[in-house]
Amino acid sequence: MFSVLSYGRLVARAVLGGLSQTDSRDYSLVTASCGFGKDFRKGILKKGMCYGDDACFVARHRSADVLGVADGVGGWRDYGVDPSQFSGTLMRTCERLVKEGRFVPSNPVGILTTSYCELLQNKVPLLGSSTACIVVLDRTSHRLHTANLGDSGFLVVRGGEVVHRSDEQQHYFNTPFQLSIAPPEAEGVVLSDSPDAADSTTFDVQLGDIILTATDGLFDNMPDYMILQELKKLKNSNYESIQQTARSIAEQAHELAYDPTYMSPFAQFACDNGLNVRGGKPDDITVLLSIVAEYTD
Amino acid sequence: MSPVFPMLTVLSMFYYICLRRRARTATRGEMINSRRAIESNSRALPINVEVVQYAKEVLDFSSHYGSENSMSYTMWNLAGIPNVYPSSGDFTQTAVFRTYGTWWDQCPSAQLPFKRTPPNFYSQDYVELAFEEPVYPTAVHVLETYHPGAVIRILASSANPYSQNTPAEVRWEILWSEAPTKVNSPQARQFTPCIKQIDFPTNLIRLEVNSSLQDYYTELDAVVLHGVKERPVLSLKTSMIDMNDLDEDDDEEKNGCEMDSLNKQFSVTALREWTTNGYFDKLPYELIQLILSHLTVPDLCRLAQTCKLLYQHCCDPLQYIHLSLQPYWARINDTSLEYLLSRCTLVQWLNLSWTGNRGAISVSGFSRFLKVCGTELVRLELACGHFLNETCLEVIAEMCPNLQELNLSSCDKLPPQAFNHIAKMCSLKRLVLYRTKVEQTALLSILNFCSELQHLSLGSCVMIEDYDLIASMMGAKCKKLRTLDLWRCKNITENGIAELASGCQLLEELDLGWCPTLQSSTGCFTSLARKLPNLQKLFLTANRSVCDTDIEELAANCSHLRQLDILGTRMVSPASLRKLLESCKDLSLLDVSFCSQIDNRVVLELNASFPNVFIKKSFTQ
Repeated sequence: MFSVLSYGRLVARAVLGGLSQTDSRDYSLVTASCGFGKDFRKGILKKGMCYGDDACFVARHRSADVLGVADGVGGWRDYGVDPSQFSGTLMRTCERLVKEGRFVPSNPVGILTTSYCELLQNKVPLLGSSTACIVVLDRTSHRLHTANLGDSGFLVVRGGEVVHRSDEQQHYFNTPFQLSIAPPEAEGVVLSDSPDAADSTTFDVQLGDIILTATDGLFDNMPDYMILQELKKLKNSNYESIQQTARSIAEQAHELAYDPTYMSPFAQFACDNGLNVRGGKPDDITVLLSIVAEYTD
Repeated sequence: MSPVFPMLTVLSMFYYICLRRRARTATRGEMINSRRAIESNSRALPINVEVVQYAKEVLDFSSHYGSENSMSYTMWNLAGIPNVYPSSGDFTQTAVFRTYGTWWDQCPSAQLPFKRTPPNFYSQDYVELAFEEPVYPTAVHVLETYHPGAVIRILASSANPYSQNTPAEVRWEILWSEAPTKVNSPQARQFTPCIKQIDFPTNLIRLEVNSSLQDYYTELDAVVLHGVKERPVLSLKTSMIDMNDLDEDDDEEKNGCEMDSLNKQFSVTALREWTTNGYFDKLPYELIQLILSHLTVPDLCRLAQTCKLLYQHCCDPLQYIHLSLQPYWARINDTSLEYLLSRCTLVQWLNLSWTGNRGAISVSGFSRFLKVCGTELVRLELACGHFLNETCLEVIAEMCPNLQELNLSSCDKLPPQAFNHIAKMCSLKRLVLYRTKVEQTALLSILNFCSELQHLSLGSCVMIEDYDLIASMMGAKCKKLRTLDLWRCKNITENGIAELASGCQLLEELDLGWCPTLQSSTGCFTSLARKLPNLQKLFLTANRSVCDTDIEELAANCSHLRQLDILGTRMVSPASLRKLLESCKDLSLLDVSFCSQIDNRVVLELNASFPNVFIKKSFTQ
């Protein structure tokens, strides 16, 4: 008799436990940003969320949290074009799209495509190119949808380990896939990839997952284990502690970039390709650090 | 004496006493109630909280600068919080209408205006905004960020766009109206006109705009509606209304009533027979007709009620040969059309633009009107006619054999198959399909059969897949084409342009603004210039490939050029512009906004040498 009751209780508990696995809470991303421009010249005050030729954005919508980074290609400077104009306008347009709800959370490539088309609708003749990486967290489905074009990217860290990451898209060494608008006389010559060429992934996230989105200034200077080390210091999902960690990661990358003897991932890759180099890679660094948390209005 | 009498007396007394008792209790009851009322009043006095709202949604508009499905320079930017204000400048996040100034009235495609427009109607464009909560408006702020001063009328509607049931009667009340005035500075401002109080709550506001005094495109960022939820007690403010305003109010109210009161006049009694009409009998019929031809339609209706002779004159179809009902859009409905039926049998020009929305005009009402009055129709304006459907176009095609001008601008609810009927209108000389959903096959059919076409507008017709094909059909069939609007035709290439230029030698006006697939390196602009020497207006807005060679070719070949827009190219230098200005003596508009080689200093120099040309250079900061 007793065993029947206790067995029944066990079964009931198991069934109920199984049912409550489906989490009906809405998720959100608590995000902090930090970065350094390559030529960290004081006095040049760019609009927020722009670090050198890099740009980023963080936007909230009822259905999703969206963030993105864009790395402006510096080579345009030689032709009299400010590379930060393109990446900055691209990111601000993406932000506006998200805020106005003109996007589908499961289609981040659509955000890139629409944003790129909007750039062409600007009266101002924009020129330049940049990579782009968009990360969307769908609040209700708990899925992370991403689109990556070029060599910026993201990591998803769970329990101290990288469980999901983006792939770099390069045409050849130091020439990533890039969105670009070229002057008409150089249409065929300038590298211009379509937004459809972006890599797109979907990944289920859990509460407490850490998402690090950054431009290649970070990944080329800091290997995974160093990043993970810094992330271990992240204690809770407070904005202040995330901001602190993001800052420490960016600062460390910035220091390593100017270290001439350090064997950075960039130098390692160069060596693997036959180029005998050492040291960090001075570059614009942009870091967006997010934690998946419960949604509070 | 029978016992009945005293019985009756007793009964009546009894009854009387009972009634009094009931009355007394009633009064007592009322007193009790009023005491309760006083108590409740003192306990909770309703405070009239002011609600401040930004627009939730843009419902309808007559035109905009930007592309469909874009958020740059489109009317949808007027909803929500401001993105640019208080900055000034030409920004993508603002709402911009398609035209400004008087330039579109000065180019070859300009239409003759309707006479008898009421003196207080200046509106050229409109936008309708929905807000979340209906309120009694206390203030309306319009945040203008570039070349302010175009808003000339603000109206409020009693219809709630978010309610499930359709209202029986939709009222529009003018909150504020003024003639266009020039604002000298292009800087941003918050425009807060003094609005009148209305007696119904509203969450549907309409702005009407006139940009004829603007130096450049006017841009709006947001609209803020201040209002109260409870009906406000009429304050002393009302007594300070200008006497002129009252007159105008009376006018506006009567406008709608005229058509209705006319019917009442008929139904009651026949007008008394007058044996003489005084001095009016001495005037010839044609003279009275001439005098009456200067009256607006509402005045005509009022005059008709004075005497039988004038009634006869006012109902004479000769008074209704040109009829514009656009100024009265808020009050035109099926009943109005019904009244006008008998008088409009000879109508040649009919303007029903902006009328009939939200159920005011039905398909059957419109069809019936055209069946009776369509035979002489030559010009039909139906801009923003959202009540139109395929049947209506079928009726037009069938009932208006003499139709030469058809305007379906911004009729974006018309289904694509409706346009098939336009091909039957073989005498068409002017066709405006701006922002409609016309499809390729229908358009090809129209071009095939309407060989008299002189003016064609296909601006923002997004459903057409291959504009090169359209252009080659035009070149082959529409030899009389004089003006062509291909604004934002996304895929026309040099092949289409070549066939167009070869076939339509009479072209005087060509708008190729925002056509990104045209490349100067193919020589398309050069061949345009050489083949179309009669060009008076050429818009190459935002074509980034326009270069010095193109300008020089225009200078050499198109000496009649009056308006040129080369916004946004990096490759035109001051020297070639100078050549153009020297050669084209009639040039009056030159838009060099966002041309990197043409800075403000160059503009000043050119202005000094060529003072008759308006050189436009827009700025973002």
